[in-house]
Amino acid sequence: MRKLTLIFIIIAMAITAPLFAAGGKEKAETAKVTIWHSAQGANATVFEEIAQTFNDTIGKDKGIEIEAIYQGKANDVLTSVNAASGTGNLPDIAMMDATAATDMNHSQYLVTVDKLGIDTSDILACGISSYTSENGLLALPFNASALLYYYNKTLYDSLGVNPPKTLDDMVEVMKKTGTKDRAAFAGVPATFELTTLIGAQNGLSYMLNNRNGHDGAATEVLFGKEGTYKTFLEKWKAVYDTGFYSPITSGVTAEFTSGRCAAMLASSSNLASVINSVSGEFEVGVAKVPMVNEKATGGTVISGGALFSFTDSPAVKTVLEYMISPDVQAKWSEATGYVPVSTKAYETEAYKAFLEKNPQYKVAIESLLDSNPGLANVWVPSAYSVYYSFQSNIADVLNGKDIDAAVSDMVAIVEGAIASYSAQNN
Amino acid sequence: MKNASNLIHRTKPYLFVAPAVLLAALFCWFPALKGFLESFLTVNQAGKVLGFAGLGNYRILFSDKAFLSSLKITGLFIVLFVPANTFLTLLAASLTRRKSRHSSVPEYIFFSPVAISLSAYSLLFKELFRGKSSVINRILGLNSGWITEPAGAMVTVVILGVFLDFGIDYILLMCAFRSTDRNVIEAARMDGAGGWRLFFDMELPLIRETVLVTVFLALKDAILISAPIIILTEGGPFRSTETIMFYYYVEAFKSGNRAVQNSLASLVLSLAACAMAVYNIRRRRQP
Repeated sequence: MRKLTLIFIIIAMAITAPLFAAGGKEKAETAKVTIWHSAQGANATVFEEIAQTFNDTIGKDKGIEIEAIYQGKANDVLTSVNAASGTGNLPDIAMMDATAATDMNHSQYLVTVDKLGIDTSDILACGISSYTSENGLLALPFNASALLYYYNKTLYDSLGVNPPKTLDDMVEVMKKTGTKDRAAFAGVPATFELTTLIGAQNGLSYMLNNRNGHDGAATEVLFGKEGTYKTFLEKWKAVYDTGFYSPITSGVTAEFTSGRCAAMLASSSNLASVINSVSGEFEVGVAKVPMVNEKATGGTVISGGALFSFTDSPAVKTVLEYMISPDVQAKWSEATGYVPVSTKAYETEAYKAFLEKNPQYKVAIESLLDSNPGLANVWVPSAYSVYYSFQSNIADVLNGKDIDAAVSDMVAIVEGAIASYSAQNN
Repeated sequence: MKNASNLIHRTKPYLFVAPAVLLAALFCWFPALKGFLESFLTVNQAGKVLGFAGLGNYRILFSDKAFLSSLKITGLFIVLFVPANTFLTLLAASLTRRKSRHSSVPEYIFFSPVAISLSAYSLLFKELFRGKSSVINRILGLNSGWITEPAGAMVTVVILGVFLDFGIDYILLMCAFRSTDRNVIEAARMDGAGGWRLFFDMELPLIRETVLVTVFLALKDAILISAPIIILTEGGPFRSTETIMFYYYVEAFKSGNRAVQNSLASLVLSLAACAMAVYNIRRRRQP
């Protein structure tokens, strides 16, 4: 009997212990601002340095401390944010990309940039429009990037070829740069690449109505009936038919840096790490994304990520203002390849000197500034499922499926995602 | 006093199982029941019930080609993985079933996969089977694309699956071999049985129960495989390794699609329950 009582007391203590522990914690004097981020490898080091600099300077004065927590890739951050919504475990700030926009646009926990009252007059116009919905500016652009055509410059120079201007050019270039052991181009486009390859067509095209879902949820698929996806598929089939195309969906960068493929499409955010991994084996060249055809003059969609906030506090505002300050943006750009979102960063002498020395970093900035400002990334529900579907759909065409049938398949998939989402969220 | 102690005596077993029952109810039965009921409702991303859907959610699920293809892929994985796993673990266990002075060396090697975590293995495999420029190709002198090609990716996932289950299955089988009644084996030997005959007609039938356990464990793991795929192939290339649970992960966790989440969870749960029921019925029929 006594033993039993003792067991009960121990169990009761074990259960209540965490409660006391939490209650006993001293209230910190500094305001902690947690940021969930998706910066990997070298980018993570720089991001943590930026946070540390804040903690040592502005943060020390104002009593604010940034706690940067890595949460996986941009979409993994979204997964964590969705899981934490409503549990009280949301971070103050989360770094996410366009795939998060649909969910965040409907989130009751999101604190918009307008509400925080941050001055965004120095931010790149295309960056602002890329995260603006009918509810205002959802997130503060931080890690902006542009899709680029990466190529093995040493190889291209030795063969006397220039990076292609159009996909027709690309087919010709591939015939020269491909060999039995080296693919001339690797990687299968998905939503991210297609926003540019479809968006640039006819000067400006959208994949979905309502400006790709920015002016209210998309209700209609446009890439099918406007023929833009078909045009792309026809050109891409020709790329495949050269016999020097490697249709892989993972490890593309590793193939490129090891010299096993001569060119790829990738975000400018990889520039520093690609140059780093190549480590002087060959010179890395970057160029604007080849146009699908002569009429595809729209340019490149701004991509990359932004900082979404979930806490309305002066500390969060201070941190966000620091993140978009010209110095931080210039440092971030130099170390990664992201495009500075602050236009003031371009005017600093240090950044000008950096661009002079590293002309590759200029290409992304120029392609964004030359682009049609109406271009917008796609806000589509079930973004990852759609992403995988595009790649499988393109692979079907490469394996001989009829292009019209493939287009209508893809339209049906995206329509299904939109219908399913609107049934659950209206 | 006597009454009181009698009461305690009678309630004691219930008190001991109470925490386990409570946890199971809280984290397993209650969510499963909630999910099952919600699979007939339209629920929004924030969890609010919007209305009655009837079989609508199941209709959405079965009209999705990606789901149907994930069923096929899971089936293919089961067909490849379960026999390969059973054969290889049985082979390893039978080769080391006799205890000898040096048998601890292979025992240690065969059991060691258990010591490394699932995600660590998956990351290791991702690097080893990276593509044409992979370590495995260099070691074996092959030119396979491995995880960059549909067929190669499936083979890689099967190899990884076998690695993950190998250690625990091996221990189960080896212990079963060693705990069989030696008298029966000796008697068979006296009768002149030896070699293959002894193994297939005596030793193997004697551990039938344990083999069945490992087969069902493998089957369960094959139906539920998701984490190794999330890390190793992300269901790719071209959705060629997208199993049911990976499809569930993408739709439920990444896209927050409640229609698919609840209907599929209920479906998989019933599938697993059926598998367990078959196993239990089989077990009870044994003499």
